[in-house]
Amino acid sequence: MFLDSDRSILEFDRVAFAYEKETEFIRGLTFSIANGEFIGLLGANGSGKSTILKLASGILKPACGSIRLWGKSLQSYKNKDKAKLLCYLPQLLDINVPFKVRELVSMGLYPYNVLPDMTVDESLSIVGLLGKAESYIKNLSGGERRRTFIAMTLIQGAGLILLDEPLANLDIKYQIEIINLLRELRNKKGISIIIALHDINMALQFDKVMVIKNGRIVGMGNPETVLSADLLREVFDVSIDIRKHNFITL
Amino acid sequence: MSKVRISILVLIATVIFCVSLFFAPTVINPFHLDDVTKNILLFIRFPRVTVSFLIGLALGASGAVLQGILRNPLADPYILGISSGASLSAAGVLMSGFYLFGKFTIPVAAFFGASLVSLLVGFFGWKRGGFWPERLLLAGVGLSFLFNAVLMLLLSISPGERIGRTLFWIFGDLSAADWSLIPYGFLFILSGFVIFLCRAKALNALILGDEIAHSLGFSVHRERLLVFISIALMTAASVSLGGIIGFIGLVVPHIMRFFTGADNRMLVPASGIGGGIFLCFADLIGRSIMQPTEIPSGIVTALIGSPYFLYLLRRKDVFGL
Amino acid sequence: MVKQTGHSIFAHSRSFRPPRLLPLYKIFYLDYRQEKPLKYSILSYILLLATCHFLLVSAVHAESPNRIVSLAPNLTEILFAMGLDDRIVGVTDFCDYPEAAKRKSRVGGMYNPSLEAIAALRPDMVAMTTDGNLKEFEERLHSFNIRTYVFKAKRLFELSDEIKKFGATLGVTDRANTLAQHLEKAFNRYREFGRGNKGKKVLFIVWPEPLTVAGPGTAIDDAISLLGCENIASRAKTSYPKYSVEEIIRQAPDVIFIGKGHVDVKAASEKTMDKLSGVPAVKHNAVYYIGDSIYRLGPRIIKGIDEMAACLK
Repeated sequence: MFLDSDRSILEFDRVAFAYEKETEFIRGLTFSIANGEFIGLLGANGSGKSTILKLASGILKPACGSIRLWGKSLQSYKNKDKAKLLCYLPQLLDINVPFKVRELVSMGLYPYNVLPDMTVDESLSIVGLLGKAESYIKNLSGGERRRTFIAMTLIQGAGLILLDEPLANLDIKYQIEIINLLRELRNKKGISIIIALHDINMALQFDKVMVIKNGRIVGMGNPETVLSADLLREVFDVSIDIRKHNFITL
Repeated sequence: MSKVRISILVLIATVIFCVSLFFAPTVINPFHLDDVTKNILLFIRFPRVTVSFLIGLALGASGAVLQGILRNPLADPYILGISSGASLSAAGVLMSGFYLFGKFTIPVAAFFGASLVSLLVGFFGWKRGGFWPERLLLAGVGLSFLFNAVLMLLLSISPGERIGRTLFWIFGDLSAADWSLIPYGFLFILSGFVIFLCRAKALNALILGDEIAHSLGFSVHRERLLVFISIALMTAASVSLGGIIGFIGLVVPHIMRFFTGADNRMLVPASGIGGGIFLCFADLIGRSIMQPTEIPSGIVTALIGSPYFLYLLRRKDVFGL
Repeated sequence: MVKQTGHSIFAHSRSFRPPRLLPLYKIFYLDYRQEKPLKYSILSYILLLATCHFLLVSAVHAESPNRIVSLAPNLTEILFAMGLDDRIVGVTDFCDYPEAAKRKSRVGGMYNPSLEAIAALRPDMVAMTTDGNLKEFEERLHSFNIRTYVFKAKRLFELSDEIKKFGATLGVTDRANTLAQHLEKAFNRYREFGRGNKGKKVLFIVWPEPLTVAGPGTAIDDAISLLGCENIASRAKTSYPKYSVEEIIRQAPDVIFIGKGHVDVKAASEKTMDKLSGVPAVKHNAVYYIGDSIYRLGPRIIKGIDEMAACLK
């Protein structure tokens, strides 16, 4: 289902991609993301969530089909221009970067020759790391590290942020913190966010979920309606009972 | 603050330059020159000190950049096999005695050998449109072994005199510094250095990983290619000017990182200037301690550098470890 | 129709601020919109290139060869033998004979003498050999307008002629001739002595580990032939080949000489001698240690040949 082209910011149109030459991993993938959406990309391990994000950010090139970012073809953007619009954070963040928090966050300014509005301090205070601005990355906890990189993407000023499993290996406290932070960013600044994750318990936090199995979309829409027991059995191969609790309080 | 630090470095560099020029191994008063001392000053010492600065600049800056690109604290420019290729070429010329280009033969041969190995490393390190750090490292190591083995073979079948000369060259011999070679050194080394300074932001981003660097707007493969070519040319030029001078590319960036942090915009110029200072100082010592015998500078840098390196390992939180 | 191709959430409000300039940067940083940095860099580079290529050493005033630097120990000995010791201003670290040579100023080693030290002595001539000094260094001396003389003798029989040529260049023809004649007489004496030694198989070990012997084209080989013996290594492919123990056992030399050099070779050669215990030389106790005179291709080589002759008696 296509939305109006001047309201959708990311469109995939019959995109196909294969890691090896023989097998086609993703076929005929078509979807559209509108401005200001907070989307969860749900699926089992190896179902193609990371691949979709990498295709969207331009790290991988589709074998066929087209990807449009804000109406223009993704390939036609120059790297620097694309960086001002779109930001991708991978799943594994290297612990051993030798930088301090402040240095790392200021690297979000690299695509710019002129200084944008937000300063490093503002961005750090939004993620709550202003007090640790001078510490080294490797001395932070997993959640704090993730938040530092999120601060970097804030300064980068992208309109669309793609995060690959930002909640992996974090304590529930940090998971909640980060989800809340991201939702606030969407609420206050109008940034569109797509998060790939495989923890279905977090699914309710999103406006919209896209469920992926074997590189194809098997469900898209409001999590309350989309995530039925049948769907979950098909995607995750488990028989589970769904109980809905809204335990997140702001 | 950092401007002050860089200025201090430049000041130290100037001081060492002058001391090396006028005081080592014997004092020459620039105001009381006669023919012979003028010749010595202008044609022996000045080129030598200039070359030592150039080589130190090349190796220090390349080492800093390479450690970032390969994400490996043990990387130095010779890890890409450049030293083995250059040694083999130079040894070939020295053993065979074929001096095709007169006094330029050995530098040209060393440059050629270094470039050849760089090309091979690039070829083996290239896959699917770009350079990969692990492949580069392994290719460099593999080629090093190969070329070193051939070099050993050559050395084992050669008469004694030639072995001595080859070993002296391999240990780092700045005595062949000559004004006619220096412009070419300037060309390769300074242009490489400028490229590093201009691409410093990209180098910082690459440390964070390919995907984040891409996300920040840098074309990862293009940056690595450009930087690799610069490193290869700078190192080839430095090896052809003065032989294999180890330790600078490895240790100076670590020392400088302690003072300037890991930001390449500060680290690369600091490592370059620091490398120049270190080599100039090592050469000064090598020329003066056992006059008139000159200890090859590669040996002095290792002798001074290793203890300091080990001391740092014990004391400071360097190398990210 | 899309009017705006995406947006960044920040308006670009602040004005342009150049990156933090380091002093080094300032040299290269030019406002690329106004000036043309590439053109100026190329021009200044061409200027640098031209200057460096046309820098010439100003000629140092040369007089008749009165200040000689010797870059080889055998040349030092020859100079002393011709009575020219007061004209020697510099020698290498290895020039240790005669005693007086040790008191001369040092200029470094044979492969890597210090150009600066040599230039500071204001020599008129630097004497070099083809065996131990380097051609590149000769060229460097030339580019410094320092005159060189290359002593080309490598074999025993070239020695007297080269000494005569050397003496002629230095203006001491008579002394050179006397020395040459003295050498020739000694050689003839040994030739005579050698007639009685036909067929003896000899091996000269230069260094026991790795086992290096004197092969063809060396003065030692000439000395062995002079003394009427057969050098079992004379068909080797290089001048100082590394021989295998097996080969020596197969060739079964009657006499083995081991050159002492500067180091106590006896201890170093014990293992090798053990391996060679089957060889006739070892069985008949014909293994002799020779001093280092045989290595100096000069007047002192006679002493070395003397030692070898004495052992062969």
